[in-house]
Amino acid sequence: MKPYLAIIRDSFHAALSSRVLWIAFVAIWLVLAALAPFGYQEDLTADFRGARDLENRSRLRGLLAQGLKDPELADTAVGRLAAAMPEKIAEELADVSEGGETTLRTSEYADALNKCLDDESWYDKEAWASTLRLAELRELDELPDGELDESMRRRRARLRIEAAMPGVFATRSAKSITLTYAGFDFPAELAVDKTRFVGIINQLVVPLIIDWLLGFILIFLGILVTASMIPDMLQPGSLHLLLSKPVSRSMLLISKFIGGCAFVFLCVIQLVVGLYLVAGLRLDIWNARLLWCIPVSVFLFSVFYSVSVLAGMRWRSPILAIGVTTMFGGICFVVGIIGGVFDGFVTGPARIKSIAVVGDVTFASTQGSGLIRFDKDSNEWVEIFGSDAISMDRIIPPVVIDDDTIFTARTKGGRMNPFGSGSADLLVLSADNAWEPEPSLSLPPATVRLYKAADSLLTLSGSNLNQTDIAGVLAAAGEESAGESREEKTPQTPDLTGGLLGRLSSMLGVAPTGFTSVLPRGMAVAPPRVLILSASERELYLLSRARLLRLVRSEDGRSWTQAAEYELEGDPSIAGVIAVSDAVVMVSRAEQPIELFDSKTLEPIAQVDLSDRLLPTSVVGLGESRFMLLTSDGRCRLVIPGVDVENAFILSEQVGPTNVEAIAFHAEQNLVYVAHHTDQVDLLNADDFSEQGAISPSLSVWRRVDKYVIGPLRFVIPQTGELGETIGSIVSGKSAITMRDASGEEQVVRYDILRPVFSCSLFIGVMLMINCIYFGTRDY
Amino acid sequence: MNSKSSTDAPIVHVENVAKCYSKWSLRGNRRVHALKGISLEAARGEVFGLLGPNGAGKTTLVKVLLGVVRPTSGKASVFGRVAGSKFARSKIGYLPETLRVDRHHTARSALRFYGRLSTMSTQQIDKRSDELLELVGLQGRDREPLKRFSKGMNQRLGLAQALIHDPDLLVLDEPTDGLDPVGRSEVRKVIERLSAAGKTIFLNSHILQEVEVVCTRVAVLANGEIRGSGTIADLAGKQDADVVLVDVCFDDEGAAKQFIEGASESHPDLALALDPNGSPRGTHRLVGKVNQQHSVDQIVDLVRAGGVSITRLDVKRPSLEDTFMKLVGKATREGSGS
Repeated sequence: MKPYLAIIRDSFHAALSSRVLWIAFVAIWLVLAALAPFGYQEDLTADFRGARDLENRSRLRGLLAQGLKDPELADTAVGRLAAAMPEKIAEELADVSEGGETTLRTSEYADALNKCLDDESWYDKEAWASTLRLAELRELDELPDGELDESMRRRRARLRIEAAMPGVFATRSAKSITLTYAGFDFPAELAVDKTRFVGIINQLVVPLIIDWLLGFILIFLGILVTASMIPDMLQPGSLHLLLSKPVSRSMLLISKFIGGCAFVFLCVIQLVVGLYLVAGLRLDIWNARLLWCIPVSVFLFSVFYSVSVLAGMRWRSPILAIGVTTMFGGICFVVGIIGGVFDGFVTGPARIKSIAVVGDVTFASTQGSGLIRFDKDSNEWVEIFGSDAISMDRIIPPVVIDDDTIFTARTKGGRMNPFGSGSADLLVLSADNAWEPEPSLSLPPATVRLYKAADSLLTLSGSNLNQTDIAGVLAAAGEESAGESREEKTPQTPDLTGGLLGRLSSMLGVAPTGFTSVLPRGMAVAPPRVLILSASERELYLLSRARLLRLVRSEDGRSWTQAAEYELEGDPSIAGVIAVSDAVVMVSRAEQPIELFDSKTLEPIAQVDLSDRLLPTSVVGLGESRFMLLTSDGRCRLVIPGVDVENAFILSEQVGPTNVEAIAFHAEQNLVYVAHHTDQVDLLNADDFSEQGAISPSLSVWRRVDKYVIGPLRFVIPQTGELGETIGSIVSGKSAITMRDASGEEQVVRYDILRPVFSCSLFIGVMLMINCIYFGTRDY
Repeated sequence: MNSKSSTDAPIVHVENVAKCYSKWSLRGNRRVHALKGISLEAARGEVFGLLGPNGAGKTTLVKVLLGVVRPTSGKASVFGRVAGSKFARSKIGYLPETLRVDRHHTARSALRFYGRLSTMSTQQIDKRSDELLELVGLQGRDREPLKRFSKGMNQRLGLAQALIHDPDLLVLDEPTDGLDPVGRSEVRKVIERLSAAGKTIFLNSHILQEVEVVCTRVAVLANGEIRGSGTIADLAGKQDADVVLVDVCFDDEGAAKQFIEGASESHPDLALALDPNGSPRGTHRLVGKVNQQHSVDQIVDLVRAGGVSITRLDVKRPSLEDTFMKLVGKATREGSGS
């Protein structure tokens, strides 16, 4: 190995003597010097920041107007707050409640509330005693005023306002970050706490910097500098001398290749170590995973360099080597774009988001806001609503009502905001009607989920939970049961259609005709939240802002009352998934261990560690206290009771297929439906997870093109652009990134880590082999 | 017995080696025959000179010996192993015609690099570097960057790197190119010293005088073929006889012509004639060809018998250049004729 190490070392010396390298060094030092003054300050979140914090503006106006107008509410928390509003707002509230138009901007409401933070004369202990206070507020309330500093006092005031008007405000972390540059504050603060801030830096900022600086600029610079290495080596006076030494040609070339990477390595090591130190010293983010960017960047460079070496050997011209490599980069880019277009417009929208099984008919909603039904005869998914990449509509995941009926809804413009561009009708699909969607009752505004609870249908709408009778829905859709008249089945609800109360109710998001609000008074299901019903459909488990609640349905089925509560640790703004299986409730949240609770008391039973890399995406209860958890890496694992130890649970290895999109459990069939690889579904036995059947739909023309042309093309031509995802995953230590869309729905975007690494490795291997054969068999 | 035979075995053995380059282009495949069945041998301790005009195939032959180029047919071996094998290359020190060492090196670091390529240890390299830098006259300048080196200094460094691993066979391609007369003389001395130490030297040079001085055997290559090989004396002997120049004093032009006519009739083998290039003032120059001393004596006897005075007598042996020009000229004519 000695001769080859000498060649590699010589390449390092050659690189260090290059003027371009030193220019690159200086440029890197300048970049680091420009980044070094960044710093941050962390403070308690207090001020309301306009539309971003006041998520449900109409509910805010409604509550305040109600508090102002309703004399019964005068001494309640909301009444006192309403009374503290400045005159301008009070006038508008009065005007609005009588049918006038809103003229004031949201920021003016935010300003008014911010003033309330400084002057707490509106606070009354008794009035707030009946509100639902977060643990943080309860702790602050217990502290004497003297022990609170200004920021804690303002924070307490904000929490009191939030408690007074549940369902109005977006969930914000308790602490906010303000960025500073050279000691000067940035004008806007980031409404994230330190953990989120670290996440943002690691998942977005650092990969972006690395992508641009390492993935583009340094690679191009590296190609420029190293393009002459091989042509130089092939100069007769140099090559013949090298070849006269007792070294193997292939190893000589590989050593030169490794040596060629020296340039990039020397630059990357400085930049990455510099970024690591800046992030650590200035932002307190000591992320050693960042150092993985060094080998990944050199790996990325070697993809291009392998092309440069071949071109350099063939034509012995640095200019041609640069030209060919740039063309190759262009081809990679174009193929990447085409692949991205296919992902975005062909496979992406077709990916299954949720599954509903009615008898032997399988329905699914897709990422592209489509609703599809699998037709066994034609072996393809039949579109009820087409999947569309640019669709702004939102499909509410279908819910199974009985053996031949499902309910769903389609909110126009629902992807832009939870309310959409108008009220959506509940859609009834039944086998009798050839699964044609039949409109039924108008859904309450901002409905995002439907649940079946015995003979009722629950809707999660904004921060409310509403209920209606299924029979009434069916009747409204014209699906009347024999012997039952429509009038008889229409649920009795108060007339909210007119007058002051009606107007306010509408603003408060209270349900239209046919729906009743079922939450206990003063309770709101603030996001992030997730709901699940027990198998008996008479108990409801709710995880909202790190509070786990158990609600029990009253005997008459008209209301739900709180039966148990448990406050979870951790940031309340982190979303989670929930499932119930017999006497156990499972909760899994990002970067938290899986938690299991007694389904009656909500007392914690056990915790199971889950890698921070994995974000929980979905979970289903399989009975017998077993759960199947789908995580962001597209794999399913089981959470099952330990064999010998009581109250201990274990997380199994992966079960079922990979690239899983969604899971659903059909208790009667005892089958788990696992949607994977875009729109395929495997039916697994819920006991031994053996495959009992599968849905492998025939592909459309474009999907065929994607599978047989674009896919192989993306495999053969290394997708260097996708290595950015690998870097993102490595730096953040996560297998996916969570994005919250405009409607507040969280979307997990899975990092494709292995494909680019595999395709790039294969490419480098093949190119090196070609290079070695060419160099080894050629006469010079 | 074995050791004797291995000692006597040729260090370089080339047998019927042919090399044909194919060049593909849009116009079709063009074939160039660089070597056309060459055979030669170089024994241990020999300084073997390879001569030939540009394009004769000298460099291709050297490349075959180094393993840089694979022969199309025939066999080439070095130290009894296939030319180009790792073992063979480990025994060869090569100085290319235009040495190109990366500019970031100093003389010492370059020697270290090439020493490592020859699998030497750092201690071995350091020790050997000191000796060689002194040998080639670069001591004291060994830590200067190569960009400050003159062509001659580069060439000296090239010689040093070729010797760094103490090879048994040195392949030198124009070793004195770019050197001043003192440098040339030093290189010649080095070659002689190495030869005396039992090293075999394969010298490829354009400078015929140099080859004439240092080489024990030569091969003349033209058009990819060997036109002659052997010691310089052998080559000259094979090609031509010695030339005798006699300056004599005839009374007049007529007497001179009469003498020539008489001598041609009595001794046609001497091929006596008047030198067409003229003669010193007041004399006539006779030119004859001789193969032995007896013939010289016969010419003297003939002239003296005619009562003519001899002012000067010179026997000229043909130089390597003459031989080379003749061999190459023949080859060129044949080449152009074919």
